[in-house]
Amino acid sequence: MPDFARRIPVGRYRGLHPVTKAILAMVGAIVALGVRGWTGPAVVLAAVVLSGALAGVLRRMALFALATIPLVVSILLVNTFLYPNARDAIVTVGPLSPTWTGATAALQATMRVVAFGMSAAVFALTTPIDDLLTELERRGLGRRGAFVVGSALGAIPRMVERAREVVDAQRARGLDTEGGPWRRFKGLVPLLGPVILGALGEVEERTMALEARAFTAPGRRTLLRRLPDSRRQQLARWLLLLGSICLVVVSLSGVVKLP
Amino acid sequence: MTAAGSPAGSAAWGSTAAVPSIELEVVSFAYPDGTRALSDVGLRIEAGESVAIVGQNGSGKSTLVRHLNGLLRPTAGRVLLDGRDVRRIHVARLAGLVGLAFQNPDRQLFASRVSAEVAFGPRNLGIRGPELDERVQAALADTGLGAEAATNPYDLGYSRRKLLALASVLAMRTPILVLDEPTTGQDARGVARVRDVVARAAGEGRTVIAISHDMRFVAESFRRVVVMREGRVVLAGAPDVVFGEAAWPELGAAYLEPPLAAVAGARLGLGATPTESAFVTAVGRRRGGATAGGAGAE
Amino acid sequence: MSAGLVLAGVSYRYAGALGAALAAVDLRLEPGRVVGVAGANESGKSTLCLVVAGLAPSVIGGRLDGSVRIDGVETAATRPHELAQRCGLLFQNASTQLSNTTATVLEEVAFGPCNLGLPAAEVVERVWWALRAVGIEPLAPRDPARLSGGQGQLVALASVLALRPSYLVLDEPTSELDPAGTRLVAEALARIAGETGAGILLVEHKTEVLAHIADDVVVLERGTVALSGPAAEVLADPRLVELGVEPPAQVRLERAVRAAGLEWSAALAEAIE
Repeated sequence: MPDFARRIPVGRYRGLHPVTKAILAMVGAIVALGVRGWTGPAVVLAAVVLSGALAGVLRRMALFALATIPLVVSILLVNTFLYPNARDAIVTVGPLSPTWTGATAALQATMRVVAFGMSAAVFALTTPIDDLLTELERRGLGRRGAFVVGSALGAIPRMVERAREVVDAQRARGLDTEGGPWRRFKGLVPLLGPVILGALGEVEERTMALEARAFTAPGRRTLLRRLPDSRRQQLARWLLLLGSICLVVVSLSGVVKLP
Repeated sequence: MTAAGSPAGSAAWGSTAAVPSIELEVVSFAYPDGTRALSDVGLRIEAGESVAIVGQNGSGKSTLVRHLNGLLRPTAGRVLLDGRDVRRIHVARLAGLVGLAFQNPDRQLFASRVSAEVAFGPRNLGIRGPELDERVQAALADTGLGAEAATNPYDLGYSRRKLLALASVLAMRTPILVLDEPTTGQDARGVARVRDVVARAAGEGRTVIAISHDMRFVAESFRRVVVMREGRVVLAGAPDVVFGEAAWPELGAAYLEPPLAAVAGARLGLGATPTESAFVTAVGRRRGGATAGGAGAE
Repeated sequence: MSAGLVLAGVSYRYAGALGAALAAVDLRLEPGRVVGVAGANESGKSTLCLVVAGLAPSVIGGRLDGSVRIDGVETAATRPHELAQRCGLLFQNASTQLSNTTATVLEEVAFGPCNLGLPAAEVVERVWWALRAVGIEPLAPRDPARLSGGQGQLVALASVLALRPSYLVLDEPTSELDPAGTRLVAEALARIAGETGAGILLVEHKTEVLAHIADDVVVLERGTVALSGPAAEVLADPRLVELGVEPPAQVRLERAVRAAGLEWSAALAEAIE
């Protein structure tokens, strides 16, 4: 089995087993959303920035963070201006009175959302889907499940390409793809029609092609690639998962008050 | 019928009575990711010419023809219709002047009836009523689909779906007709239909441009052949010239082969015989020169 | 147990169709031989491919009468994944046949053997064997999604070969390819038939390809066998044109010369070789 097919990732963070990275993302989500107070989201953000730096994806993560801006803005506005039962106004302008309580809550909520999103982002940006699917299949995910997810993702660029060709073909027949909303709406059928019909038509041939390659053979599929795992990582996964759940329970119950 | 007699620029665009010339003036095109698809392509096609574009997959043929109807705009150089830059013309308007039939019919079929599919193009050009019906009927008759007017396009086999795509462009009655691989996947009858369509359009004075891998179809139905390789035009001329022995090295470098008639003719020293009828004529001429009963030199 | 892929009195009707797509077809495919199939569009060529490979009716339904036997075993009694190991099937469009879930050609070709659960070492060995048989070892590290049409078809061919079928059925594999790609595929098929002893059924419009590599040719008309025999004979048969098949260029030239009242000489015959 040549190296180009093994594709073992390198790096302190990237080199972790995909399931470890998935669990880390999950733990990050649990802690960011579940732990009361500032500590939870703050710790997760710090961890996420660290892993992102190790993996060299900080710039792309920053772009992703920019994408969360609309959500963040709406959280800020809603909480600052409409926080229930808050009396400590920052300033009063007519009917609007933003409150300090609201603003504080807003900031914390924002931190949670961003921490959660970044946690997922660092995982997605550093883990090829094929790596994760292979290891999940090794652990019992059926071949159909793995194939469905893998091929659905692979289908996206193909569909985009097909859609582009359909647009070209219909424009070549005089379809006006610019103009008012009614025009554009009328153009939907000739644009979507061939894309959908084409995709559906392919289904039968793809099914036959899969059968012709023994996809429905019984038993476990051979998995050629094996990504390195270790007892330490396995232990860490369990500890982190259980630990994060405990942390959430503890903080919600009020037994320990974290800042 | 051709624009040869009318002064350049005086013909009204959108009128099918006057066929414009079309030209790529030192056109280069690179895709957004940087791949160069066309490099300094210069090609002028006069009104009423029939031109075949040949070359290996990836040589830039499809990219070139998409410049003719404005689907792609050059990254350098200009595309000129009757000497005027088409840059400012909308693709939807250019569609009335340059009709492009795509290679894969399934990228455009969406209507539930063949007749509706064929009517789509002319309808977009503003044609309605009896004229629309007439155009649809004529296009269906030309492609042999007259009996299938009410059929669902996806109930037709691939070969006839391709003819349907061709019919839907024919009904637009554009002065310039561009066909992307019209004979690929066709059986003998389908190819014969395509040949007839090309001959009829050329007979009406329209410009016909086709991309094809079928060298026999190219030699027999087109007056000019343009050979492309790696985004450039490497050879252009009548089939006699392009498939003549002198051009074989260049053809080979473009991963193409001349039709058998040309090869056989060259082997027998008969001169340029790109088509089968030219070959037969040349053999007859050679025989006519030999004495009766004497051993023929061929 | 007789070797050979044999159709005896085969009729097939698609599910929900009114008429039969194939009627009373007899066909024999021997190991190591190439049988070409020609015919007008909708004459039943694609249906024949599905029936020969056993996908009809077991995967797509419909009704089959008569018997289809691969080395003595009825396809109706064989499960699809076992059929795949006896008779491989390839379609026109390379991209729909590739799994689109693999990053390298090597893994793509390994898809089939991996599906069978074979040990990893055996899978890798089969993959290299298939790549070699098709002549595409240098493509092993490439991304299957970024190959040319001809290369894609060769990868699809290797993927099916990796299951070590004794027979191969190809439905117009070169129709979307340029002349160079067509030549690659045709030569690969001839080599495979010779070296691995696989029996090949090849549906083609390009009769020049059949003239080049087929031993026998069958011509279908409306679901029945209209002509059958050695390739040279069938491709020169005058009935080809009315059956909707374009004869190869060599045959056409000879016919045209004779039709003009000119004599066909040995020198002419040599010139069209």
